[in-house]
Amino acid sequence: MTISVNGELKIFETQTLTVQKLLEEMNFGSGIAVALNEEFVLRATYKETNINEGDRLDILSPVQGG
Amino acid sequence: MNNTTKWKIEGKEFDSRLMIGSALYPSPKIMEDAIKASGSQIVTVALRRQAAGESGDNPFWELIKELDITVLPNTAGCHTAKEAITTAMMAREVFGTNWIKLEVIGNQYNLQPDPFALVEATNVLIKEGFRVFPYMTDDLVLAHKLADVGCTTLMPWGSPIGSGRGLMNPYNLKTIRQQFPELQLIVDAGIGKPSDAIEAMELGFDGVLLNSAVALAQEPVVMAEAFKHAIYAGRLSYEAGVMQKRDMASPSTPTVGTPFWHQFK
Repeated sequence: MTISVNGELKIFETQTLTVQKLLEEMNFGSGIAVALNEEFVLRATYKETNINEGDRLDILSPVQGG
Repeated sequence: MNNTTKWKIEGKEFDSRLMIGSALYPSPKIMEDAIKASGSQIVTVALRRQAAGESGDNPFWELIKELDITVLPNTAGCHTAKEAITTAMMAREVFGTNWIKLEVIGNQYNLQPDPFALVEATNVLIKEGFRVFPYMTDDLVLAHKLADVGCTTLMPWGSPIGSGRGLMNPYNLKTIRQQFPELQLIVDAGIGKPSDAIEAMELGFDGVLLNSAVALAQEPVVMAEAFKHAIYAGRLSYEAGVMQKRDMASPSTPTVGTPFWHQFK
């Protein structure tokens, strides 16, 4: 399936994908927060949150801010 | 009136009334030194997309954590209430705080906040348990609307973000202060130099939030210390009560016993 991760299209050779699995496969570390199709995903639900074809994932981490 | 030694805001107590940003410094070391020199105990931070594979520590976040200060995450860059709400929820999880500096930009030229989306997002986030610090224009009616949905802190701009133009409209800020004596009021954005911060504090504002004025100074660490003293001096000045202006001169030296020189008639 093809999904957008932080604005870039990524292809995964699978029909079933969870947020947890994607984060592991793409080697994202801790200290992040996730939004799926612009909706916040609680960390505690990563394992059961499914990702579907065409979904958009945003994975954010702390940066400088004013 | 709050005393100068302690400042209570949104359930926490601080010695400093300066809130400082963590962006735009020439280096992480200068940021760290400037934050320390400022005496600020509240630092603003943000969230941005992380590149895949960056699985190690986040050096910036590790540095901020080591400073042992209160973080105030922002929603900078959001243009709709929905974006801001989602970002706030992500920030709460990452930073472990229910404080949020709520920014919803309505105009890209001057980064003016969108008052309608701001109230909409504030209403949702307060119901979700957030302590909202709304970045707003200096509009009195907007202040009323934000107070109506539960804000106990308001952050009107002095002038556009990063402009360094100081307080564009002291009358509006003064009016908000007069109308909302019970709220915590912070001038956020537009401060360019320490005298701007003093002016805000002398208007009776409870604190000042700034970033560029320190980070873009030729000597950020020295400027941070200048703001520390300015904000303290401004608060003392407000508490002391500034004398009334007079049209006529009035001698400060006693006139009784003036000796032989010319006497005005």
